[in-house]
Amino acid sequence: MLKYMGKRILIGIVSMFVLVTAAFFLTRQMPGSPFQTANVSDKVLEQLEEAYGLDEPVPVQYQKYITGLFKGNLGMSFKKSGVTVAEVIKRAWPVTVKLGGLAVLVSLVFGSLLGIWQASSRFSGVKNTIWCGTLLGSGIPNFVVALLLALIFGVRLHLLPITGLGGWKNYILPVISLSLYPTCVITRIMNNAFREEMKKDYVILAKAKGLTWAQIVMTHILKNAGIPVLNYAGPAAAFLLTGSFVVESIFTIPGLGREFVNSIANRDYTLILGLTIFMGAVVIIINLLVDLLCAWMNPRVRKGILE
Amino acid sequence: MKRRNRITAAFMAFILLASSGLTGCGNAEQENVKKKELVIATNSETGGLDPAGMIALTYLAYSVTALDELVTYDAEGNLEYRAAESYDVNKDSTEWTFHLRKDAVWSDGTPVTSADFVNTMIRSLDPKSGNGYANYLFPIENAEAIYNGEAQADSLGVETPDDYTLIFHLSEPCVYFLDLLRLPVYTPSCVSYADSADSGWDKNPETSVANGPFYLAEYEPEQYFVLKKNEKYWNADVVNLEQITYRFFDSTEAMANAYESGELDVAPGVPSAVLDLYEGKEDLVVTNSIATRYIYPNLAVEPLDDVRVRKALNLAVDREELCRILGEDTEPTVNFIAKYMTDKTDGSYFIDGAEKPFEEDVEEAQRLLAEAGYPNGEGFPALVYKYPSLEQDSDTAQVLKEQWKRNLNIDVELQAQELQVNYTDRRAGDFELCRMNWTADFADPYTYLSMLLSNGTYNCSGIRDSEYDALVTQSDSETDPEKRAELMHQAEQLAVGEQFYIIPLYSIKNCNLIRPGLTGITQNPATGALEYRYAQWEQ
Repeated sequence: MLKYMGKRILIGIVSMFVLVTAAFFLTRQMPGSPFQTANVSDKVLEQLEEAYGLDEPVPVQYQKYITGLFKGNLGMSFKKSGVTVAEVIKRAWPVTVKLGGLAVLVSLVFGSLLGIWQASSRFSGVKNTIWCGTLLGSGIPNFVVALLLALIFGVRLHLLPITGLGGWKNYILPVISLSLYPTCVITRIMNNAFREEMKKDYVILAKAKGLTWAQIVMTHILKNAGIPVLNYAGPAAAFLLTGSFVVESIFTIPGLGREFVNSIANRDYTLILGLTIFMGAVVIIINLLVDLLCAWMNPRVRKGILE
Repeated sequence: MKRRNRITAAFMAFILLASSGLTGCGNAEQENVKKKELVIATNSETGGLDPAGMIALTYLAYSVTALDELVTYDAEGNLEYRAAESYDVNKDSTEWTFHLRKDAVWSDGTPVTSADFVNTMIRSLDPKSGNGYANYLFPIENAEAIYNGEAQADSLGVETPDDYTLIFHLSEPCVYFLDLLRLPVYTPSCVSYADSADSGWDKNPETSVANGPFYLAEYEPEQYFVLKKNEKYWNADVVNLEQITYRFFDSTEAMANAYESGELDVAPGVPSAVLDLYEGKEDLVVTNSIATRYIYPNLAVEPLDDVRVRKALNLAVDREELCRILGEDTEPTVNFIAKYMTDKTDGSYFIDGAEKPFEEDVEEAQRLLAEAGYPNGEGFPALVYKYPSLEQDSDTAQVLKEQWKRNLNIDVELQAQELQVNYTDRRAGDFELCRMNWTADFADPYTYLSMLLSNGTYNCSGIRDSEYDALVTQSDSETDPEKRAELMHQAEQLAVGEQFYIIPLYSIKNCNLIRPGLTGITQNPATGALEYRYAQWEQ
């Protein structure tokens, strides 16, 4: 197990290094410069580029950046004067985590419940309605959902706020926009997995033993049917916890996604790199955790790892 | 697939039905009447609040309500004394003495002194500050030398004989000096706190003191900042609001939506689509901005080095048609100086004081092009037009391409770019035709004319015209307003109507959404931006 973890962490570190290098050189390849905006004279430009080390050759800049990185220094933002990249992440990530975490929770709970309901219902009306709903929900991109929700509940009905994160009401629309797609996918996965499991002998045996339906579902079926859901939920959670570019921008939410979009538009090199590295690390760690969780839940997977 | 489409269509129809016609009333509006508060949208956070730091939109939003300049002009062109209560100027406009108000204090209660003004100037003159307005200090003795590191900061030609007197010694007469005083570099920053643009004093409510009607009470990065009424303000009696909240928005569409949902009281500069949505409603307030949209032809590129070609391109544009297509927020212009810049001597619009630089004339354009060696556009190289990929600029580009093809039979290749890329290419002179926009920095035509000077920062198309430079320099020191205006008209005529260094297109109007019942919002005469210091809710 330790060996497996060690191997995974090592792969993670190598991926991070490749990611950093690629991101570094690609940002420098982008046309445009961070400081050439509105009213900046050549003198100011020169001073700024010197102050931020942009006057040096790119390989030297790269070497300095990597050295700084090993010391845990992500550098200063180019465009937010006096603010470090770490400060930006420290401020924006909790916002994204709150929103993304809620969306993960909502999609897991509702997706699972709907999936189980669809699989175990005896009414074709229920089955078909859920089927239609999930098809629709997974077919509409989240920015369309976000805009529609903002239009209906904010602009037309004036029921819910659509900008910023002032109170709990502000979370409703973005969380729905973010969780609609994963909820639908989880419903479908859960439905399929659940139906498969229900056909299996152990369920028949459990029924014969006289266990209640709830007992069978909770202690037996879910444990098996949950694994494909978890396999999907891992990457989905990583996606949600690193911030949605579009949904955050539509609802003017000060999270990582919006920072990322703005940093690219502003050519804020250090911020682009810092956010890329941070998001990369989050994705790698979450995927590792999900694999370990799967192994814990399923002895077959665990055995595969141990061998 | 078919089934899915049907379901989608049914769903959409349902939503449209459900949402159409259902309109409510924002409760923010009613609460504010009682609370004396205002929520205003502003563009996404850029730059700091330090007048000596990197100036961008956030500072401009903050400063108009929180900081008092020495003097400023109101919308009618009358001088309004703010931090100064009077001034004297010597005969040749080279020595300006300002007497500061003795009752003016910072929001922490300490007096506003002449040293606070010098503090901003000295810090701005260090190029490391990244301040883009430092060049407007150059009329002051030694300022340019200090900026270039050739003189010590204490040699700056600003004298402070006591705490309440500020004397500027100018190296040359500058008749528009009073107009410059509204710029950040001439605005005070408190010596007790404002030490450097990087130290973070400007966004910390404990150290970010203000000398104007409002002070910074809260700053939440990327979300909002709150200004509260400064009870210690010398003129606090005329200030009606208790609190103004500025909220950051990434897009103007989001601003318009937030206004519609009742979360905002003012959404300035929203997309022109609101013109239709709010037609006939009180909310919609269209204001003139002091800005010109134009194109730089690169003089180093053949055949744009030929004045006949530049003239042909100019004469072949149908600006009326262009603006009809773009929408009501644009107005055709053939001038470089913004259409709505006022002439302070009589309050009229400056450009109305002279003949138009040129008239559009397609036949003449065709003749000129033929004379330049391209009859009916034959052999004319396909020029590349670079512009930012914003909606209005993209539409403009399409129309121009079509008009030049139709009128001159020449091809223009369109190249939409990200804003940042467009800035870089323009600055480097890496273009053939490049879109440009200029909003006035201060209320004097010089803000435009200085751009085309041989040594101008924004002269990126290679204009080197000694006759033009001489005219502008002469106008700079002409103290007779009428003679000065004449010189400036001559300069504009030379650059636009004779040499055709630029292709002026249109001036822009701002569409603003303002909650009915909110009054007292004024317009900055220099830039056309909205100001809220005297705003109030009708009871």
